[in-house]
Order: sequence, then C-alpha cells, then structure tokens
Amino acid sequence: MENHVELDNVSKFYDAEQKLHALQEVSFGIGLGEFVSIVGPSGCGKSTLLKIIAGLDRPTSGEVRFNGGTVQGPHGKISMVFQAFGLFPWRNVLENVEYGLEMRKVSKKERRNLAEQYLEMVGLAGYEHMYPKQLSGGMRQRVGIARALAVEPEVVLMDEAFSAIDEVTAEVLREEVTDIHRQTGKTFVLVTHNLSEAIELADKVVVLSSRPAKVKKVMPVSLERPRDRTHSLFIHMHKDILHLLKEELENTLIRHKLQGIRELQSIHDIEAQGSTAKPKQPLITT
Amino acid sequence: MSVEKQKALALSLTGSVFAGHRFANYYWVAPLALGFAVWEALTRFGVVPSKSLPTFSSVLLVFFSSIQSVTFLLRIAHSFLNLVCGLLMAFSIALPLAFAAGSKNKFDLTVTPLIMLFGALPDLSFLPLLVLWFGPGNVAAVIMASAAGFFPIYFTVREGTKNIPRELFDVTSIFKSDRLSTFTKMVLPAISPHMFSGLRLAYDFAWEIIIAIEIATRVAGIGNFIDGNVASGSLQSGFAAILAIALVAIAVDRLFFGSLESWARKWA
Repeated sequence: MENHVELDNVSKFYDAEQKLHALQEVSFGIGLGEFVSIVGPSGCGKSTLLKIIAGLDRPTSGEVRFNGGTVQGPHGKISMVFQAFGLFPWRNVLENVEYGLEMRKVSKKERRNLAEQYLEMVGLAGYEHMYPKQLSGGMRQRVGIARALAVEPEVVLMDEAFSAIDEVTAEVLREEVTDIHRQTGKTFVLVTHNLSEAIELADKVVVLSSRPAKVKKVMPVSLERPRDRTHSLFIHMHKDILHLLKEELENTLIRHKLQGIRELQSIHDIEAQGSTAKPKQPLITT
Repeated sequence: MSVEKQKALALSLTGSVFAGHRFANYYWVAPLALGFAVWEALTRFGVVPSKSLPTFSSVLLVFFSSIQSVTFLLRIAHSFLNLVCGLLMAFSIALPLAFAAGSKNKFDLTVTPLIMLFGALPDLSFLPLLVLWFGPGNVAAVIMASAAGFFPIYFTVREGTKNIPRELFDVTSIFKSDRLSTFTKMVLPAISPHMFSGLRLAYDFAWEIIIAIEIATRVAGIGNFIDGNVASGSLQSGFAAILAIALVAIAVDRLFFGSLESWARKWA
C-alpha cells in the first residue's frame, strides 16, 4: 500500500545544544485511510511527534512526507483535534466549527452549510448557538472534531483527544470516531496513553520507547470492528504492549540509577582529589 | 402578562440600560436616599454651618440650572476630552508593549522592571516638570492622564497575553491563520476580559489625575471650576459640579464598560 504519510528518520532535539533528545530516527508509514495509534511511555515525545506530522514543529533532522511531498509547515489537508479541545470560548459552537473555513475565505453561506453538516455528523445539531462554557467536556470535543473535519482534510490528527473526557462519554465518542473513520475514509493518527483505546480504534499501533523515542514495535490490529475489549486477541495484544512499555519503564529506571552512580562517582573523585578540580571521566557511560 | 414576567422584563430592561448587574436591582436606592436626607437635615437645622456645607436641596437647584448653561457643559466636555485623549494615548502605547512583554520573555524581563520602577513613583511628582516643559495646559493634563492610565492597561494586557493557552496558538497555526487574523480573531478576544478591567481602572485613575491637574494648574476644565467656586464661597456650584462629574463617570462606566463586560460575561 502506498503510504499517505511517511516518517523518515525523524529526530528532534528540544534545545539548540542538542542535549534534550526527544525523538531518535523515528520511521514508519501511514497508509491512505489507515487509523494509526501511537503509544509510548509518558513524556516520551508522542505529542511532539504528532506536532511534527502536523507541521506545527520542525524535526531537527529527517522529514515527514505527505502525499510524497515534504511537510514544511501546517498543511491545509492535515487537520487536528486537541487534548484540551482548543475551542475559542468567545465563539459559539457554530462559529468555532466555521473557524477553519473562515481562515480559508470560504463564503459565509457555504461555511455555514459545511459547519451545520459536520455538527450534524457529531450529533450536535441544535447546539449551534451555545458557548463552549455551556457544554460538557464530551460535547466540547465533538465541536473540536467537527471543526477538524469541516475543513475537509485528508488526515486527522488527534492528540490525546479522549483523555480529558469522562470514561463513559469517551467510550461513546470513540465509537463515533470509528464510524466517522469508516464513513469518510480519512487517514487518522491518534496519540494516546490509553492502550485499550489505541487497540480499539487502530488498524495498527506504533509503540514508542522512552525518551529519546524510537519506534519499538509496529503492531497491526487484525480484530474485526466493532471491537470487543474482552476478546482474547484484544487482551493478548493489550498485554503485549503493556509488557513492552514496562520494559521501557524499567530501562528508564536503570538509566536513572546509572546516572546516580555516575554522579556519586564524580563526587567520590572530587573528594579523592581533595579539591574542587574537574572530576575524571566516569567509568560508566550510558 | 403575569407579575413574574413583568418583573423579569423590568429587570432585563434596567439590566440592558445599565448593562450590568450592579444596578439591576434597587437595593442601593434606600441607603443613598437616606444619606441625602441626613445631609439635608444636618444643614437645614444648622448642625453643620452653611458656609461649610450647603443644603442638599440648594445644591440640586444649582445643579439643574447649571446643566442648562453652555459654559458649564463645556467645562465638563473639556475635562472629558482631555481624559479621553490621555486614555487613547495610554492605550496605544501600553498595548503593543504589553503584547510584546506577554509573549516575549526576554522583552518582559528587560522592560517590565523599568515600568514598575516608574510606576512606583507618584505620578503627580512629575507635574512641575511637565508644566515647565509644556506650560500649564492641556498638554500637561493629557500626558499625566495617559501616565496614570498606562499602568493598569499595561499590566492587565500583559497578564492576559501570558494567560492565553498555548493550544490556541496551535489551533490558529493548524488552520493557517495569518498574523493579522491571529491577532484580531484570537489574541484580542482572548485578552479582552483582562483588557476591559485594565481600561476601567485606567479610566478611574485618569479622572482623579485630570481633576487634580486642573486644580493645580488652572486648566479650564471642571476641576478648575470647582476650585474657583469653592474658593469664592459658592459651595452650591462646587457641589453641583461634583455631582455632574459623578453622573458622567457613572454613565460612561455603565454604558461603555458595562456593555463590554456583559459581552465578556456571555462566554468567559
């Protein structure tokens, strides 16, 4: 399958001195119409990776290709759903959904039509004139999804889109997103720390390592939809991913311990020299 | 129409006239009326001598005749114009600085301590210098009013800019908003509740300073009018002028700031 989005050796340092290493040579492909979940230990740089795909952030080296061309910045065909919804509180529901279309200079009438159509799709018909503060978290995220879809993107990126919503509402919303994915055939990329959610929604799950994040494993999900969380394969997969992440967590702990030993050794060296002279090169390097 | 509905309608009407909640009920009327009654009683029965405090009723009479005099109204207009010019000046200088300080940390660390330093100085201490440079006139008054209005606008807008969630900037980027639309359709509305409180404070501060300067330097505004009348013994005219300023101040506060704030209350 031709890749719709392709990550080619994407590396990212947060700082100019290249000390804070976030992503290390991340490469994987996302097929046209595929639903990909990205999971990884917390703080591993998942969201940074998504921002790079979105063109909101630039990789230090490597590149992201979309339809064969390098992503240089925000792209009209790549849209995003945000963790804290990212709604403008001073705009009502309709105006929020219209925002992306407004930026594209779509005529007032047409953007109203499109906005209403997508509000209908996310089940918010009748709420057009409410303000975000009057809505529950789940409803706010529906507005966020409608806004992302209204610009008719080819790729929808979701950054922890269900994690600020209560579990029952999130479950319903996930089912609806599955439906929207099926209906529209768009490519979806979801970053999440919720493993069940990742498996439930995705055609494949990309498991990242702890920082600097590398691709630890890419796991295709062959379960039929709608997915049953109690299915043995589902449980099995959940276990596998959890195992991988635990391994990463342990690695991190070991690294922290080694760091501690290194620091102790430096102190020891300084004391041995009886001065504050520069410590010798430590024996253990990680 | 039921009584409840009539009540609701009356409330909503006063609410829209006063554009806020503070005047939408009438609890405040009784203590105010009581205050005036005590004033009237104390002066009428000679507890307080009339050369210190005229009777309330005589002040009201002078007030109603004064507001029919063109020169009196021009005096108020003069002060008000200086005030508005000062605030516009403060706003146009403070706004870009505050945006820069709110969004660029280095700029904030460089400029804000300096601004705080100046803010700590009593504004009026500069008045003699301004009078020396620009003469005792409108220029000095406008500059002082803008200095007084600068600080609340600067600090509230800076705070508001810092408080804009990062995510909203990502939203504007992802939908490819240009710089101008990001400013007008995101930053400006996002900081508006902060900005409105800053403007309101600036307005209050500027009134004080305008009146003080008029008294000190004889700018021909309403402050100078009060000073002149009180000095020559016509206390009624002085009080009438104070009453007029209060009414102007309240009307602007309610009609202008009130409607801005009720817009913000709708969503914030």
